[in-house]
Amino acid sequence: MNSVNDRSRDIGPFVPAPDDDMLICRCEEITKGEIRQAVHDGMWTITEIRRYLRAGMGLCQGQTCSRLVKGIVARELGVSPAEIEPATSRVPMRPIEMRVFANEAKEDGHYEE
Amino acid sequence: MKSNAEVIVIGGGIIGNSAAYYLVKRGLSVIVLEGSDFIGNGGSSRNGGGVRQSGRDVRELPLVMYGIKNIWPKLSEELETDCEYHQDGNLRLGKNEKHKEILTKLATNAQSCGLDVRMIDAKEVKNINPYLSDEVTCASWCPTDGHANPLTTTLGYYKMARRLGVRFISGEHVKELRMVKGRVRKVICESGDIFEGENILVAAGFDSRAILGTVGVDIPMTRSLLECLVTEAEPHMFDQMLGTAEADFYGHQTKHGSFVFGGSSGFEGCNKDNGTPISSSKTAPCICRGIMKYFPDLADAKIVRTWAGWSDKCADGVAVVGAVDEVPGLYTSCAMSGHGFGIGPAAGHQLAQLIATGKTDVDLGTLRYDRFKAKI
Amino acid sequence: MKRYDLIIVGAGPSGLSAAIEAAKRGLDVIVFDENEKPGGQLFKQIHKFFGSKEHRAKTRGFVIGKQLLDEAAAAGVLVVLNATVIGLYQDKEVVVKIKDNIRHYKADAVVIATGAAENMVTFKGWTLPGVIGAGAAQTLMNLHGVLPGKKVLMLGSGNVGLVVSFQLLQCGCEVVALVDAAPRVGGYGVHAAKVARTGVPFYLSHTIVEAEGDEWVTGVTIAQIDDKFNFIPGTEKHFDVDTICLAVGLSPMSQLLKMAGAKMEDNPKRGGQVPICDEYGRTSIPGVFVAGDVSGIEEASSAMIEGRMAGVVAAEYLGYIDMESMETELEVMEKALDGLRQGMFAPKNRGKAIEKTDEGIDISMNLLKKGYVSDDEIERYPGVTHKKGVHPVIECTQNIPCNPCQDACPKKCISIGNNITSLPIVVKDSECINCGMCVASCSGQAIFLVDEDCGDGTATVTLPYEFLPLPGEGEKGIALGRDGSEVCKAEVVSVKSAKAFDKTNLLTMRVPKEYAMKARFFKVLK
Repeated sequence: MNSVNDRSRDIGPFVPAPDDDMLICRCEEITKGEIRQAVHDGMWTITEIRRYLRAGMGLCQGQTCSRLVKGIVARELGVSPAEIEPATSRVPMRPIEMRVFANEAKEDGHYEE
Repeated sequence: MKSNAEVIVIGGGIIGNSAAYYLVKRGLSVIVLEGSDFIGNGGSSRNGGGVRQSGRDVRELPLVMYGIKNIWPKLSEELETDCEYHQDGNLRLGKNEKHKEILTKLATNAQSCGLDVRMIDAKEVKNINPYLSDEVTCASWCPTDGHANPLTTTLGYYKMARRLGVRFISGEHVKELRMVKGRVRKVICESGDIFEGENILVAAGFDSRAILGTVGVDIPMTRSLLECLVTEAEPHMFDQMLGTAEADFYGHQTKHGSFVFGGSSGFEGCNKDNGTPISSSKTAPCICRGIMKYFPDLADAKIVRTWAGWSDKCADGVAVVGAVDEVPGLYTSCAMSGHGFGIGPAAGHQLAQLIATGKTDVDLGTLRYDRFKAKI
Repeated sequence: MKRYDLIIVGAGPSGLSAAIEAAKRGLDVIVFDENEKPGGQLFKQIHKFFGSKEHRAKTRGFVIGKQLLDEAAAAGVLVVLNATVIGLYQDKEVVVKIKDNIRHYKADAVVIATGAAENMVTFKGWTLPGVIGAGAAQTLMNLHGVLPGKKVLMLGSGNVGLVVSFQLLQCGCEVVALVDAAPRVGGYGVHAAKVARTGVPFYLSHTIVEAEGDEWVTGVTIAQIDDKFNFIPGTEKHFDVDTICLAVGLSPMSQLLKMAGAKMEDNPKRGGQVPICDEYGRTSIPGVFVAGDVSGIEEASSAMIEGRMAGVVAAEYLGYIDMESMETELEVMEKALDGLRQGMFAPKNRGKAIEKTDEGIDISMNLLKKGYVSDDEIERYPGVTHKKGVHPVIECTQNIPCNPCQDACPKKCISIGNNITSLPIVVKDSECINCGMCVASCSGQAIFLVDEDCGDGTATVTLPYEFLPLPGEGEKGIALGRDGSEVCKAEVVSVKSAKAFDKTNLLTMRVPKEYAMKARFFKVLK
């Protein structure tokens, strides 16, 4: 999967845009401007954007915004969105209370109501 | 594009990035090669965020104390990045006499190095952190310890180093180092790219072992897959970094409100992965049970994510930092043994100083690469 | 750890279909679904499905859902609801949250049939309450009986946007506009036409500038865009609405596969991040299969066939059937799937601007740009003929895989032939007995029975009518044209409801005879 990516490539300066204050990641309240700025700070992958800004790391784990963030990053880098790696998926698929996660059922038989 | 630099750094984690930053600030040209597709993709972004002195082996103490005194307090400002550094103390919790013994020994050792760490009783623990359960009977308390955000700190160093002209290349997996006329000089990558540096710093986590091996240097280490989890944002509860005598969990509440906790199931040494550091089905439930024993109030907090990361574990549990004297031009910082984040900036800082001037503020003698001797 | 032959994640059309086929062949199958009701999207689908008999065509989605559940139960499949699979770990370990605990299960084979999630687009105000996915609106209406809003603007002219717009109308909502940034309607023309004829205006090459409102949506402004997606100043249009529905595509919910280490690809043709798999759903992990939208966005009919294939392939993988019988069965299923993937809307034609039908007839440009076939364009299609007395007028103008009409007519007046995507024709010299079966059987509501000249200066038009309350005999109203404009006064002659019509009522209205070929909807006077 590794592809050589020289982070010194010139992607031009950050140019403020009128819609920079638009929320993109609703869970973590990250704006388009923050994402664009992060790209200019070197965060060229979804993974780095997530780690740097928390975009896509909230309750929905990026179900809503991943595609949007990808589009913004791609546009800023001047590449096709397909060239940007998709976000990683991690357990749990849905948020789960600690007491439930901690509570492993003991029975070993068939599923029963 | 030039593929020569005064320093080639192998590994884009907290150590590689911070070293690059301090090197470029000293006016050296630097290229950082990150093997994965992402900057800061190893232990640097997969840890619990502890910035602590207490609980460490005394050999690491001078270096980490140097960082906490000189680097961490102003790091957010310096990196123009919110590193979320909190210096609100570390509680290492115990529940019984055995725990008390372990904690007392650690504290006594650290005191001998001049660290302010002491044992406190259940009442004092509760004063510091009223959310802890009554099971906690004692703790070691180090008020100058703390925590930070490993993700923004690692990427903050990257951002600033890059801004100052360090060339970062991700997806550049190093295959081998080559000697040229008695000095290590060439870095050969799987992509076919070749880089040359007057100095080479290997800070590539467990992969360091294989890379150093290509010039005949071996650091005895194994790796284990450690796991962390994070909750949704919760109302603010406490600011201390937490650990336990049993090491069954560690972590803190972040500025954002979420709790980041790590822990173990006991199978870390033999966990397997599927090509990515995947979490194991056993560990997260175990961490949750561990946390709830200490913090019953967190039972309803929702876990939104779990993750795992490979930790490079030194044979003696202590980091290796410094010059590899027998190979001129070669430096390393690896085998951080699961506590590399808090010490990372200091390691990067001192290595940069070492490479640039041949001297360090902190004596790195106890962390030498060649300290390993057979037991008899 | 409890081990099953086959664990299926998702009890939608593909998951249930896979379960049925696998269980029928002797596998011990359990299906987990995080929802409180099974069926995935099927129980929201109150419209009749396209296709042919083998695809359960002209059956409403929720009925298909019931059929699948019955078949699954009969085959011995255990469907566990409110069961969220939180992780697919190594060694095919499935961890499920059920009630207040988590359970670990192992499977020898796993079918991931988790479906898809709705996409969003951003515009100023897109996070205001009242901006919702079209699928969410459908869930509110059709599963929970809750009206999503009173005045709605729909963004997206694909089948989801069109179908949901129609359902919003059926619920009594006002759909103020159907908007799409694309220059052409994306979904089936028949779906568009049935929305347009009720009076909903279509705005193609338009998108949302802003959702207005302080605390929730109170209005919306749209504007025309140029080919670079820039707004054209001066083209802004404002609507007072309380709801904005977004029907801008779906993304596969493939996270479980990714975390399990399956090889993935980003494939825009399949709707996003999907596992790399063969045509029968085998992923890069032996024993892990996929079916339905999770491996590429299509629709429920093809998802069901993909599910059946995955069930058969899993049965062979675990040695319950031999390779030979698997191949025989797959061949039949492949043919059925192939049948669905034909015509203008076939996956292979995605993104192509098709100008002519297979028969060589020009596609209606009005249909693509405004949602309806204009009065002059309609005459060129083979289903539109004229004769004395009552006769069918089939306003089916695109090659789509659907043929129930040709079987519906007891007098064989309608023919499609062997090619399921051919345009239906009115068989020459056939005799219409005005039974209405063709009108009720057309999933696209595109067939009308017209008596162009009743001899007294009037004509009658019988149209499919799925709105409540039903108008009464003699009720006076307004006839609307294909474009939804008022064309003349109309009077209800009769409203027929029969079991065979499956809730598609046949409303016959009387209009002046010059409007026989123009009047296509009956608007009740308020």
